[in-house]
Amino acid sequence: MSQYLLQMKDISKTFPGVKALDKVELEVKPGEVHALIGENGAGKSTLIKILAGIHKPDPGAKFYFEGKEAEIQKPIDATMKGISIIYQDLSLFPNLSVAENIYIGQDSNKGSWSKIDWKAIKSKANEALKEMDVDINPNAIVEQLSIAQQQLVEIARALAFDSKLIVMDEPTSSLSSGEVEKLYKVIENLKNRGISIIFISHKLKELFKVADRFTVLRDGKFVGAYDANEVDEPKLIQLMVGRSVTYEKNQSENKAGETIFKVRNLSKKGNFKDISFELKKGEILGITGLVGSGRTELAQAIFGVNNPDEGTIELFDKKLSIKNSEQAVKNGIAYIPEARQIQGLVLEQSVTKNISLPIIKRIRNKFKLINRKKEKELANKYIETLDVRPALPDHPAENFSGGNQQKVVIGKWLSTDPNVIIFDEPTNGIDIGAKTEIHKLMRKLADDGIGVIMISSELPEILAVSDRILVMRKGRISGELDIKDATQEMIMNYSLQGLGNVKTPDISVQSGQVSQEV
Amino acid sequence: MKSLFKQKEFSIIAIIIVLSIILSFVSPVFLTIGNFIDIIEANTVMGILAIGMTLIIITSDIDVSVAAVTTAVAVIIGSLFGYLPDSWLSLVIIFIAAPIIGLVIGSVNGFLVSKINIPAIVVTLGILNIINGLVLYFTNGRYLNSTNFPESFLAFSDFELFGIPILIYILAIVAILTWYILKHTFIGRSVLAIGGNQQSAVRVGIDYKKVKLFVFAYMGFLCGVAAVAQTAYTTAVDPNGLLGLELMVIAAVVLGGTNIHGGRGTVHGTLLGVLLLAIMENGMILARIDTFWQKVVTGAIIVFAVSYDHISYKRKQAKLAKIEVEV
Repeated sequence: MSQYLLQMKDISKTFPGVKALDKVELEVKPGEVHALIGENGAGKSTLIKILAGIHKPDPGAKFYFEGKEAEIQKPIDATMKGISIIYQDLSLFPNLSVAENIYIGQDSNKGSWSKIDWKAIKSKANEALKEMDVDINPNAIVEQLSIAQQQLVEIARALAFDSKLIVMDEPTSSLSSGEVEKLYKVIENLKNRGISIIFISHKLKELFKVADRFTVLRDGKFVGAYDANEVDEPKLIQLMVGRSVTYEKNQSENKAGETIFKVRNLSKKGNFKDISFELKKGEILGITGLVGSGRTELAQAIFGVNNPDEGTIELFDKKLSIKNSEQAVKNGIAYIPEARQIQGLVLEQSVTKNISLPIIKRIRNKFKLINRKKEKELANKYIETLDVRPALPDHPAENFSGGNQQKVVIGKWLSTDPNVIIFDEPTNGIDIGAKTEIHKLMRKLADDGIGVIMISSELPEILAVSDRILVMRKGRISGELDIKDATQEMIMNYSLQGLGNVKTPDISVQSGQVSQEV
Repeated sequence: MKSLFKQKEFSIIAIIIVLSIILSFVSPVFLTIGNFIDIIEANTVMGILAIGMTLIIITSDIDVSVAAVTTAVAVIIGSLFGYLPDSWLSLVIIFIAAPIIGLVIGSVNGFLVSKINIPAIVVTLGILNIINGLVLYFTNGRYLNSTNFPESFLAFSDFELFGIPILIYILAIVAILTWYILKHTFIGRSVLAIGGNQQSAVRVGIDYKKVKLFVFAYMGFLCGVAAVAQTAYTTAVDPNGLLGLELMVIAAVVLGGTNIHGGRGTVHGTLLGVLLLAIMENGMILARIDTFWQKVVTGAIIVFAVSYDHISYKRKQAKLAKIEVEV
């Protein structure tokens, strides 16, 4: 038998237009805790989904489990081999009991009409939970449990399937520190029983407490595998961010003008807390942070679709009270959502109709019917200024490439004459040439005096486009950086650890302080 | 959660009791054993269909073709009667043929929903119209009376055991069988699992397509049983007799505490829902309220019950915070 329990080699995965993984490898030894790390979009999830049998890798992938070549076609194949995946969103049945959740999959090969042995299930579940040294009633309904307890139920299920390898995707992201300690104890216990664990987490500090080895991915590529004692935190951060993608610098010579937009102490329970920032005329404010840090929720709050509990929003020193998106548009705020195909466009409709959609009330004639001529002029104007290609106003939006669809969405919102535009992941899933074009477009808008907020997970993009950067972490602003001082490492630091005990939300940080923290 | 679940059934029992007390003042006949047996017997068909519908709604689907399928099977066995001798054998044949015919039609629904992946409401609305059209074509809308029914079948329909009509026993058997499937078999638990979280079900290796096929096929099977019950109860086949019953069936299931979003529902809850609707209908007849108003009331109850369910569901969802904000 080989030294490794799991060996994945030459794993590539191509999605339409994007190469998500490029010859990645992952090797896990028996009984080790193996941390899989990388930025958002580095390919961790894709790799795990291939391991789980949800995605199929491109041809040429080599896959060995317990020293034998293995093939995983669908999720149950992985389970049957002894690979259990504990997803971040968990795979439990909220309406069923703990015992059932642990054992329900076990009967799937006994046949549909097999009788369920409730007694055995309950006593076995009790045993499994006891073995893990956790105190959960097997009769409890899962939705009554805390997230931490639910996670333990999933681990118990993995044990019930005799798993040899358990993958935990961000298991600590929604746990309190006490619960995390408890989880680590359970992991230690599993390790002693010879079970291997792949641990995906952004919390590097914590990882050093549990992980024996690290595999680092970056931009879909394998960076390396390291023993825990040959690396430290700054080294890992450096490995994770290393500059492989570079964009043209896009900052402007123009000085930012007066403040046009202010957010003060905006809070919403379970979304974000104490958010304050200002936006100046002619500047691009980049907001970044890990997925789940509350960026999108904040943007939606400003746009009126996720109303905050507290705080104020001011435009030109006038307090706004925005309760829905219609009011936001009226006040000159535009939001270009992340999922443009779903939230930004009516795909089956023509470019013209998409562009005129938000201002349809303003282009009606005296009979309150849509003025087709005006509509056409409007569409042509934006097709020209934004350089939508091909310039075919009557073709449905779905026929255009991702970059040009995004231009249509931008055109649609420009037609509302906005004062502030929020871009949420504006270049997600479009090719690099189109990305640069969108970057230039955002700069042009800023130069024209529109306040631009760009939310992005992609650090090179944030650095190439923004004048100022806000980093969010766990629903709070954990750092504010001027572009002159900002580096990927600093942003990563703020995304991962925040500033600890600093209370004031407006923090301008000097680069010196940050390097001390590292 | 458990308490809320219990509460739901408890509150429906409470409503039934209050309604019964009121009705006993409206009519002295109401609170008699005879009237209650009549009420249950008259609603056997709705009860059987509602029990099948419970499984479908637990998987968060719906079947609006149940009344049509039942009618189709009833028309088929009604015309079979002309060829059957007057013997207990005919009874056996009917009891085998009817559920099988229903099962076949239900499997068609299930196949289209699970394998071809068409939304259940579209599939079953289509089947509903196809069947209604065919039934009218073959019967010309004519009522089939009992003149060519075998004597054995007529005897069966009048049969009583300990003063309780045979139809009520059939309802009880269907209820116990379905309860057993739901509680004690793997496929039954899979029904609940899919309703709870379909993605999780796939991840633990439950074949959700098979389970969906099963719930629709089983619904068809019960439509066959209901067709025999309906034919026995009216000793006739009326091609238009069950028009619109599917709404009452769905109302009974939702009233009985089955979650329209799936994942939760019980056979006994559904039976209580049927009983409540049946008592209301009976009460309105005893109180001489126009039958048209019964439709209005049923409609209002469906809207109310589903809205209530949906609002409490949304409240629960809203409580689940998305991001753990550091304080």
